[in-house]
Amino acid sequence: MTKPIQDSRSRPAGLSSRFTGAHYLRDSLAFLGCAMAFLAAGLVIGENYVFHILILICIWSAVIAGWDLLIGYAGVFNYAQLVFFAVGAYGSAMLSVSGGLPALAAIPLAAGIGGLFGALIAIPSARLKGEYVALFTFAVHLALPSILQQTRGLGTGGSTGILGLPPISLFSQTFYAIDKQAWFLMALIVAVICIYLIYFVVLRSRFGLALLAMRDAPAFSEALGVNGRRYQIAAFAISAAITAFAGAFYAHYTAVVTPRILGTEFFLMAMVMLAIGGMGRFPGALLGVCVVVIGNEVLRSFDSYRLFALGLIVIGSVIFLPHGLGGVLRRFGKKDSPRA
Amino acid sequence: MNIVEILISGTTQGAVYCVIAMGLSLVYGTSRILNFAHGALYTLGGYIAWFLMYGGPGLSFGLAFVVSLPLLFCIGVALEAGIIRPLRRHANWQINAIMVTLGLAFVIENGLQLLFGPKTKTIPAFIEGGVSIGGTTVSLYKIALVGISVLLVVLLELFLARTRAGKSVQAVSQDLQAAAQVGINVNRVFGLALGLSVVLTGAAGILLAPVFQISPTGGWSPFLKAFVIVVFGGLGSTRGAMLAAFILAFLEAIVVASVGPGWAMPAWLIVLMIVLMTRPKGLLGVWEN
Repeated sequence: MTKPIQDSRSRPAGLSSRFTGAHYLRDSLAFLGCAMAFLAAGLVIGENYVFHILILICIWSAVIAGWDLLIGYAGVFNYAQLVFFAVGAYGSAMLSVSGGLPALAAIPLAAGIGGLFGALIAIPSARLKGEYVALFTFAVHLALPSILQQTRGLGTGGSTGILGLPPISLFSQTFYAIDKQAWFLMALIVAVICIYLIYFVVLRSRFGLALLAMRDAPAFSEALGVNGRRYQIAAFAISAAITAFAGAFYAHYTAVVTPRILGTEFFLMAMVMLAIGGMGRFPGALLGVCVVVIGNEVLRSFDSYRLFALGLIVIGSVIFLPHGLGGVLRRFGKKDSPRA
Repeated sequence: MNIVEILISGTTQGAVYCVIAMGLSLVYGTSRILNFAHGALYTLGGYIAWFLMYGGPGLSFGLAFVVSLPLLFCIGVALEAGIIRPLRRHANWQINAIMVTLGLAFVIENGLQLLFGPKTKTIPAFIEGGVSIGGTTVSLYKIALVGISVLLVVLLELFLARTRAGKSVQAVSQDLQAAAQVGINVNRVFGLALGLSVVLTGAAGILLAPVFQISPTGGWSPFLKAFVIVVFGGLGSTRGAMLAAFILAFLEAIVVASVGPGWAMPAWLIVLMIVLMTRPKGLLGVWEN
């Protein structure tokens, strides 16, 4: 049984106001305002290195938002999120390099493939509970690099990966990776759309409410007519499609795809983001992304100790901040106004 | 590969898988924690023995093995008290426990890499020579491997069945609440279980070091195999894990002999998927999934 992730104090009154229509416009405007501020900050600093970091924050935000949807809100212990990212990246790379499609067509197609793949993973997962899901999905994650190695003949490139992905062309203009400002704008648009879709469209709908009900009271919600299996598969598909979209975008930004995206470093980064940010506590996960991406750049000088430190940060933040930054924020919010 | 070789390979692998998987099952059975660091602790065992033999003290293999075991036990107890116990206060501790043990796995992995470098280390086989069985030469090392593994498993079973501490472990795994009510110190049992589990997996890491070399990331494959075994045998059932270990080891030997070693890992994952989809409770499972 999955224990409720939210604390019980805030549920009866808090749930209705937070997840259905109330303050929808206010919260949307606040989110868009934050995005505009982020955009303005980036443009004011206007340096290529800073743009690169901001682009990474945007891409990771979309991935972590997708993960948060499954692990935090739907309560599914999914550890295959980077598999979806890799499916998007490889899908788009194979479509554009081997298939000759332009990037603008390959990226949405890859997102579609990612969504299908997510549903495929979800079908066995939806029969399982708790740690079994964690194990199954993590096994998929661990198996993928060797599958990519074995399917070299299909154009996955084995351990070298795929090189020379085409840059995005729009309105007869081609944006090469060197044009960081344009990529920053595109990444921000991608991130805003993904985050808005997850936190404001999916999670504020009846569907989102059903996911929360499934997480907090599985038996009761089934009794009320929530088709748990179908909802869980749909949640997987949405999360995977969005993550694959981000993965495809990332692949075209870096112009190479290697199995490194399934390596320890990326997985640890994603875990630290969620652990620091807090699961199921918007906007905690997104704050986690900012903290970790910037922190990772700061730690870059201690290169060999970085992964070790990231692991320690996961342990430390889970023990000392069990609800992450999102939990801290919410606690402060409660002190300021009783209804936040 | 003939039938005798398959039998021999299946028996040796099965015995060692048994040791690894029973450790994992023991911890899951008592404290309901899916220990993602189990594989990393397996590797840690190998490194501790290597260090005792070649790094500093220069002990012999037997001495290093014997010295490692209490060390591993202490590590397990310390981990339980230090990073698992604080989690139990919170409502969502199960997912946090998965996060923490995964984090721990990466810490151990990267810590070992920092200390010993990414290159693999080897420990030579502790017994040389071999005997001939049915026309095939079996190294004495493999026979000793089976012997020590079986000894460890028997000792664990005796401990669980005969001693007071072992019975309290069983009581906790049957009913946590009731065990606490009759005065069993639950926290101490959790610590004991993780300590024993680390001893088992670390011992397997040491025993297998001559075949599979020791490398920082070498623990993931035994971990995954152990998990497939535990799921197949039924979570929480040590007997089921024992049975499943041998079944799957023979299956692996057959796959390696007929299709090739590259298919061993995919075969494990396929078994995992089939078991999870048809009978998640496992062979001798106690709980509904």
